[in-house]
Amino acid sequence: MSMNVPKLLIAGAVALTAGVATAQPMPVPIPLPTPPPTPPDGTPPDGAPPPTDGTPADATPADGTPTDATPPGDATPPLGSPPPIESITEVEALPEPPRPPIDLPELLLAPSGAMLPAGVIYSRSGVDTSGGLSSDMRFGLGDVAEFGVAVTDLIRGREASDQTPRRMAPFYTATFRMGLAEHRLFRHQPALALGFRKSFEFEADNHRSRIAELHLAASGHVGTRTTVHLNGSFWDASVETGDEGAVLLHDQGLSRQFRIGGGVAVRAVEDADILIDYAWIPEFCFTCTDANRTRLRPILSWGVRYDLAPWAQLQSGVRVPDIGDANLLDAQIFGQLTLINRSIERVVDRRRRR
Amino acid sequence: MRVSLPLSLAMCLGAVRTAASAHADDQALVPVRQRQATATEIFAGPFRSPRLFAMPVADVVGAYQLSLSGDASLLQEPGILSAAGVAAIGFGDVAQIEYRHTSAVGIGDIEAPIPAVGVQLQAPFRERPWVPAVAIAFRLGVPRRETIADQPVDESVTDLYLVTRLRLRGALTGLTLHTGARVSSAKIVRPGFDAAGTAKRVMVLPTFGLDLAASDSARAIAEVGLAPQFRFDPAVDAAPRVDYGLLGRVGVRWAALPAVVLDASIGYQLEVAHGQPADGLESFVQWDIRLGGEVFVPWGAIACRVTGGFCESRE
Repeated sequence: MSMNVPKLLIAGAVALTAGVATAQPMPVPIPLPTPPPTPPDGTPPDGAPPPTDGTPADATPADGTPTDATPPGDATPPLGSPPPIESITEVEALPEPPRPPIDLPELLLAPSGAMLPAGVIYSRSGVDTSGGLSSDMRFGLGDVAEFGVAVTDLIRGREASDQTPRRMAPFYTATFRMGLAEHRLFRHQPALALGFRKSFEFEADNHRSRIAELHLAASGHVGTRTTVHLNGSFWDASVETGDEGAVLLHDQGLSRQFRIGGGVAVRAVEDADILIDYAWIPEFCFTCTDANRTRLRPILSWGVRYDLAPWAQLQSGVRVPDIGDANLLDAQIFGQLTLINRSIERVVDRRRRR
Repeated sequence: MRVSLPLSLAMCLGAVRTAASAHADDQALVPVRQRQATATEIFAGPFRSPRLFAMPVADVVGAYQLSLSGDASLLQEPGILSAAGVAAIGFGDVAQIEYRHTSAVGIGDIEAPIPAVGVQLQAPFRERPWVPAVAIAFRLGVPRRETIADQPVDESVTDLYLVTRLRLRGALTGLTLHTGARVSSAKIVRPGFDAAGTAKRVMVLPTFGLDLAASDSARAIAEVGLAPQFRFDPAVDAAPRVDYGLLGRVGVRWAALPAVVLDASIGYQLEVAHGQPADGLESFVQWDIRLGGEVFVPWGAIACRVTGGFCESRE
């Protein structure tokens, strides 16, 4: 295995993302075998006598309860019809409970305390006016954890402190988060998530870089329309140039590693949220002193999240990567598409209810 | 520590004969082996996993069942997908034979999988409140070759595990404690060199794990334990060494289906050869994310359904 592995993973994630929309169809009527014509006297075509109470053979009460007590799986199909499909029969017998909307695991950039439900596939792909592309794909594990892979375009590096930072992309990362749902332990307990994110090694211009982040995020609803998010993050980074040893961020002390971020989401109208978040991201300076080789830079983002469908959302807004320097000239306008696939969640639930 | 594989198998099968009757009450908690069973019934379980993440537990794969599990690290070695796996087949609810990759810290400071075959025996005692279940596992290491600076070395680890499992009750219902000790014989050899090119060490390595039911289908798991760590740097010292390494892991195992378990975890390892960590816990770049899974194959029930063999006897 070589570096192609993460590329393959991301390619797979993108491919799955593309399939999400097609995996979320509205219920499609299942083609049933055409029943044979019934004679005018009501006699079934197989010669059996018609019902004595005058009820049509295929009649169903108004409450939808089938009149035939024979289990569906034991019924003999009409001659020439395809065999019954067991799973479809059971699906029809077990009505789907309504599924609540999903609280997403991130705002615009900052992590939230919400955890994906078990079996849910979440993906977010974005583009911005600086030409950056990003993608994030996650999978919910057992309602208490999630795993994901992503590619980000937010990591930047510069050769010297007086040079303009340039994008280091694609920067591949993997994420694992564990958490508790809101109100799980006690009333008003915020949703909590302990997450770990680590990058694959990025190599360019004789520099090898890696980042890692450990965060604890909390999210709580305030009223019916507002959600407040707060997180504390420990960052670490490693930079190697040529044959020199690695310069590590954690050697610079905890004060250089720990940052607080967060955001607010307000449901402004029935199908749209207004979002503001404040996050941190490492920036490298390859010829700076060890103390300044890696610096954490704040990013301020604001925008709107619009519900296109229960399985799709569109985000758009403004991101200011240099808000720490009050530099608005390099602000970016971004667009993101979030897709949510609940097919596996449905399959797992059906299997469990059997 | 020279126990041959045939002898191990004989020990395993002998224990099965004497202990199977003690587990008669547990027979109801296995996948049905009936000719008329549907696939849903066959794969409904219940199934028992013989491990947390890397640590074995005092459970074995059930009779007429096969467990295939593996995990992969996306980040342990930059840009490389490293993987490990276990195949275990159960005998009589008290024993299993397995082929696995043992956890050990390699020269490159990665958790190097070393192939091993072994047997695991569960003490055939009926489960009682506040009485731990006990199991013993023996893993015979198979040499694995690594090349460091063009110098090949062969590494092998043979382990004897004693593990216990205690399910807590009362307010702590859902929490299970796992403790154990691993007596490990680790060996590293430079082919073609005399005794100076060989390092061998017998180590007693404690392990500890927690298992908490986090939902009806998921368990939060934490485990920590010492493991052999191989040391060889020909530029510094021509003689290889075997030291202690610490492995820790916390994560979740989710039974998406009774027969399919997915697990994900973050892990940490640090050098404790001299009692002092080389890097503190804040060194997150040394942490690792692993993703794995386990699939249970009730081969006895499948064989019964297909061929009529291995079916439950009707008494």
